Amino acid sequence: MKVVALYKWARDPEAATVRAGGVVDWGNAKMVAGDDDHAVIEVAKTLAEGGELVGLTLGDGDAAWAVARGVDVAYSVADAPYLADEATTAAIMAAAVKHIGGVDVVVIGDAEQQHPAVPGLLAGLLGWPALSAVGSASADGAKVTVERKVVGNIQTVSAGTPVVLGVAAAGEEAKPPGMMQMLQARKKPVTTLSLADLGVAADQGVTSAGTALPELEGAKMLEGSPAEVAAALVAALRSDGVL
Amino acid sequence: MSGAAWVIATDTKYLVSMVTAGAALGAAPTVVAVGPRDLAEAAAESGAGQVVWLEPTAGTPAEAYGPAVAALVTAAGPRLLLASSAAAARTLLGAAAAALGAATVSGAIAVEASGDKVAVKCSRLGGAVVETFEAAGPVAAVCQGYDAPAPGGAAPIESADLGQPAALTIADEHPAPGGGGLTEAERVVGFGRGIKVRADMAMVEELAAALNAAVGCTMPVADDYKWMDQYIGRSGLSIAPKLYLALGIQGSPQHTQGIRDVKVVAAINTDPEAPIFRRATYGIVADLYEVVPEILAALKS
Ligand SMILES: Cc1cc2nc3c(=O)[nH]c(=O)nc-3n(C[C@H](O)[C@H](O)[C@H](O)COP(=O)(O)OP(=O)(O)OC[C@H]3O[C@@H](n4cnc5c(N)ncnc54)[C@H](O)[C@@H]3O)c2cc1C
Repeated sequence: MKVVALYKWARDPEAATVRAGGVVDWGNAKMVAGDDDHAVIEVAKTLAEGGELVGLTLGDGDAAWAVARGVDVAYSVADAPYLADEATTAAIMAAAVKHIGGVDVVVIGDAEQQHPAVPGLLAGLLGWPALSAVGSASADGAKVTVERKVVGNIQTVSAGTPVVLGVAAAGEEAKPPGMMQMLQARKKPVTTLSLADLGVAADQGVTSAGTALPELEGAKMLEGSPAEVAAALVAALRSDGVL
Repeated sequence: MSGAAWVIATDTKYLVSMVTAGAALGAAPTVVAVGPRDLAEAAAESGAGQVVWLEPTAGTPAEAYGPAVAALVTAAGPRLLLASSAAAARTLLGAAAAALGAATVSGAIAVEASGDKVAVKCSRLGGAVVETFEAAGPVAAVCQGYDAPAPGGAAPIESADLGQPAALTIADEHPAPGGGGLTEAERVVGFGRGIKVRADMAMVEELAAALNAAVGCTMPVADDYKWMDQYIGRSGLSIAPKLYLALGIQGSPQHTQGIRDVKVVAAINTDPEAPIFRRATYGIVADLYEVVPEILAALKS
């Protein structure tokens, strides 16, 4: 199968600093590997066995990250900015997948925390079905079989291709590549695409009217000696009727 | 363009709160319910104006009906599309939003009509800020929500054509390994790496017994230390007790995702900056080893 692994297509929310009044300062934060991206590569590698594994990143995401993890061919849409409108991000991805051509499966981070609509939008724009919350997958002829966790159940779903799989990592990466692999990966060529090459624009259908601090700001902090805070907590929980 | 919002639901998660939010556009929203009859009935009582029901064929996941949902939505042309972050719901939202050409944002907590625009307020950066997005055209949003009681009433339920479903088949489905009563518990005491050695779990268990609570933990406690089999969070269990007492837990977004539906969260942490305090109802900045014995004493009085 020809499999596209999408990685490093968003910024790390932890890179943002929240200033007084809720103003967000991203500094010069880059596109980084999301929590799920290492699992994306694993799933894509399994599906691409005997076929072709293509890595695709957006913006200033570093392609060596994926090459060091086993991607055969690396593409980057280098001038794709980080966008709040997930539909525009998905449109850029869809155009790149079409440009790459002949793709059977797109594997992308499920991104439930930050950009949960992107996998479904990407599938919708490609006219393909999508499955989210995928833990693992295997290829079976022209079909893929995925295992995923949905509301307390483990589900095995078989899917025809083409299909988009949203992968949720179960944890941190077990064994990141070493320094040598990273250095070698940097030597591999990356095909750079531009938005103009793909015939898409980064226009968003929403405009930000600003950020603010949330109204319910943080916890009611209990202060005093250990005995005092313990007594205050028990009293509060009793009066809330949760004890 | 029709003024009413559409809500796409594959389970009842946040259903009433989404319908309530969508009503801000001036009309009772239409709910597209993709699931069993129970779901359509819950949708009919959620405050919706009407329910369009797609009943999946046995063995077919809700995601397979993307084309049918997209066709219904494009035919109606709503200004606003809402769905929860449930895996199937947000996938269908993507299919519909792509067909509608809608801009899409996530973390929506409220909606307002603002002139001829729709304003969607979204919780961003793990809840650290609220950002307002305005859309002049159609907009879709993955919602954060809360479970609210249904207002009742009975919107009409209309069965819709399943169209040509995508080639997706459920080959097997079985319950995930049990959570040791964690998912049903009314109270849970959770602990993280603030508990230093395994023997100290006895103190956590004593507190849990006194509170009539189940014991849970963070991922490193289960995966790295192997002190427990199950953990709470994004890749573990989601729990919804009345009370969650978090001891020595940092409050990473992966962990707090599993406690989103908890009613009251109380946290004890030595670090005043620990993100758990953002999710907590009550916070105590202190050494848990000093406070837990005092809580036990206070419970006895
Ligand atoms: C893809 C992915 C999925 C993940 N899924 C999950 C998941 O489902 N669930 C999960 O829990 N994690 C998950 N994680 C891990 C998560 O990111 C955090 O690393 C983890 O939750 C931190 O656990 P912790 O709070 O116990 O430990 P730490 O981060 O080490 O925090 C310990 C806390 O205890 C406090 N403390 C220390 N001593 C004391 C004391 N004496 N008294 C009071 N407080 C004290 C410290 O101030 C600190 O805040 C996931 C990570 C990834 C990358």
